Amino acid sequence: MSDDTVDLREFLSGFVAEADDHLRSCRSALVALDRVAGRPEPNAVRQMYRSLHTVKGLAAMVGVQAVVDLAHRLETVVRTADQVGGALAPEAIDPLMRGLSGLELRVQAVARGEEVPEAPARLMSELEHLEPSVGPREVQQDLRLFLPPELARKLTGAERAQIAEAARTGRRVLRVDFVPTPARAAAGVNITAVREALARVGELVRVLPRSVPASEDAPGGLSFALLFVTDLSDEEIARRTSFGSDAVIEPLVELDAPVGSRAAEPEARADEGDMGRGVVRVDVERLNAAMQSLSSLVVTRFKLSRAIAALEASGVDVRELRVVNDEHTRQLRAMRESILHLRMVPVAELLERIPLIVRALRSATGKAVQVHVEGARAELDKSVAEKVFPALVHLVRNAVDHGIEPPEVRRALGKPPEGALRITVAEPAGDRLSIGVSDDGAGIDASAVARRTGRPVPADDRGLLELLALPGLSTRDEATHTSGRGMGLDIVQRIVTRELGGELSLRNEPGAGTSFTMSIPLTVSIVDSLSFECGEQVLVAPLGNIEEVVDASELRVAETPGSSRMKGQRIIERRGEVAPFFSLGEVLGFDARDEGKAVLVRRDGTSYAFAVDRVLGRQEVVVRPLLDPLVQVVGLTGSTDLGDGRPTLVLDLAALGDDLERSWPSLRP
Amino acid sequence: MGSASVGDGLTKVLVVDDSAVMREMVVACLRGLPEADFEHAASGLEAIERLSLSPYDLVVLDLNMPDIGGYEVLEFVRGQDQLRELPILVVTTRGDEASRERALEAGASRFMTKPFSPEQIQEEARSLLGGSEDPVASAGEAGTGGGSGP
Repeated sequence: MSDDTVDLREFLSGFVAEADDHLRSCRSALVALDRVAGRPEPNAVRQMYRSLHTVKGLAAMVGVQAVVDLAHRLETVVRTADQVGGALAPEAIDPLMRGLSGLELRVQAVARGEEVPEAPARLMSELEHLEPSVGPREVQQDLRLFLPPELARKLTGAERAQIAEAARTGRRVLRVDFVPTPARAAAGVNITAVREALARVGELVRVLPRSVPASEDAPGGLSFALLFVTDLSDEEIARRTSFGSDAVIEPLVELDAPVGSRAAEPEARADEGDMGRGVVRVDVERLNAAMQSLSSLVVTRFKLSRAIAALEASGVDVRELRVVNDEHTRQLRAMRESILHLRMVPVAELLERIPLIVRALRSATGKAVQVHVEGARAELDKSVAEKVFPALVHLVRNAVDHGIEPPEVRRALGKPPEGALRITVAEPAGDRLSIGVSDDGAGIDASAVARRTGRPVPADDRGLLELLALPGLSTRDEATHTSGRGMGLDIVQRIVTRELGGELSLRNEPGAGTSFTMSIPLTVSIVDSLSFECGEQVLVAPLGNIEEVVDASELRVAETPGSSRMKGQRIIERRGEVAPFFSLGEVLGFDARDEGKAVLVRRDGTSYAFAVDRVLGRQEVVVRPLLDPLVQVVGLTGSTDLGDGRPTLVLDLAALGDDLERSWPSLRP
Repeated sequence: MGSASVGDGLTKVLVVDDSAVMREMVVACLRGLPEADFEHAASGLEAIERLSLSPYDLVVLDLNMPDIGGYEVLEFVRGQDQLRELPILVVTTRGDEASRERALEAGASRFMTKPFSPEQIQEEARSLLGGSEDPVASAGEAGTGGGSGP
């Protein structure tokens, strides 16, 4: 009892993490409410109300008054909507959105340990005077429910309306009973798991606890009735919930078509992974610390390998040591994967914000835009996600701002007045993920871009992208409200290629739309690499785009005929392809010695070859980005420590080759 | 007496709140209770399930939760014979008089509003647990009463 002093401010980081979650769920609820334009969406309203209430309570506990006040205003608005059946007036969406952004900003300030400012008085007063309700809705009263009256009485008007609406539109309204027992609880089959399982197969309307006589079957004297709406058959529900075929599924509303029901307890089995899954929230700082320790382990491992190699060179039998070392290597790799996995966040989280951003753009530009998000199941490292998000927002803004035409123009062109913005996340291929942003707008006028940049009209989309990514380019005369001056593609390009080591590509169809694709690594930091010597220097390059390493003597090297522009560049021909062959030492200004090996790299179907002196081997390296913006050199992605305490440069050979080739634009046939 | 139902001498406390951080805060505040063992419930449903399956000495209950809130938990619990005397401390952000009355009417033993200080909640918890622990003060004490003086 001596350590009675508890400082609740210790829970600030927990508050930030939880508030983030709640605000995110508010945002998606608000998007759903925006989509239904004033029609009731009771679940979304209730979810938002509860989240705001929780944020308010937590903020009060940790003493962040500005968040308490703003959350309270928002909560009051949403609670009114909840009380009148879960419909939100379309006029309320914008102020609520600004309120949510205000909360987000303040929670971020808490996260950074900054002073949290009061919410702007204008916002507070606007929220106070908001009339959120659409007016009382008529509730169908003649609903006949197969439910004991003492349970039926507990349903609210909104819940009855939800059930009536579902029945009217021919959906199935069902009831599942669940009786908790100690045995089921021990197997992980509890009300939480059952509830989650049912929420996966339909919309839960309500869960009602009820007293039953205590018996052997119901030792707690408790049974839950779960009421839900679904479109699935009983078999399908049983299959997807793993309740087994003997779950009690009963129709709740009198329907025309008889619905089969079975009699038995829902013998739900604990389905590994899905049901009763525990989630632990971890501060990113702690993960970073774990990653840091892992990084030092990787370095130590490399030292160990070198010591073993030295022993072997001096004639010692190191077979046993090697076995242990190999095992150690595998274990480290497994550990690295688990830690990396902890840092992964669903791409869906990134994409959730997009509809709201587009919504704001719509009102700013007067354009009509429909957002389609496809295939967002992949996961990304948190740090990558944070970096790529601004690039994604840039592309989305550009699409709405510059791509999609105003409705009247679209109509005149015979296009649907509402533009389509499509965000496509492809299944990850290897350690890369591609995110596409495309629109069905006007496309890009290549000759206009060429005029503005004072360069020749590009021959293809790749050339066009190069021009677009020139700093400060604008294809419009006036700075637009939303994108500012210029398209900011130089920023997108920088984030995607320099900061993340990914690729940006463009497909432009004048009159029909533009499509940008960002291909980015799922994780950064530790990379499987090849180390080699060049001159006196040890260098490292990620294995990702290294195709092969060959003896230089195997290559058929030729020189381009003596055109003055190409300065007799060496080329090689391999498997019917021609690739430029660079001396890495020469390129980097080191004194190369024998250049006995050639490293072949390929990206986007284009290959390059680099001569190096000696290959040292492959290993995992921890790449530290070069933080100094002045030291941003094309082809150089960072530095690493191979265990000797000295920084070793990490090269992106493909980017280097690409850059070098630009000096010889017509090198390839 | 609702308490002393747990055989091993530990005071079993069920902390019910849908916010994990809030539950952690409550537990941190109540760490000073002697021999206390804490269990968490993240929803009203989970609370009802746990309470019907095993005995507890004290419940710290939030009002605002998904599916079924604190009022419903109270109503259900007080409708079960074996749980009628269980000490329940309601802890909520709803500080208004109507919420307080409604919670006490539904069966809350005590009512506290957030934010609270560690000392405040400890004091409430001690006084709720105190009755059966101290044989001297074993005189009939009402559920909502606070008179612990001899």
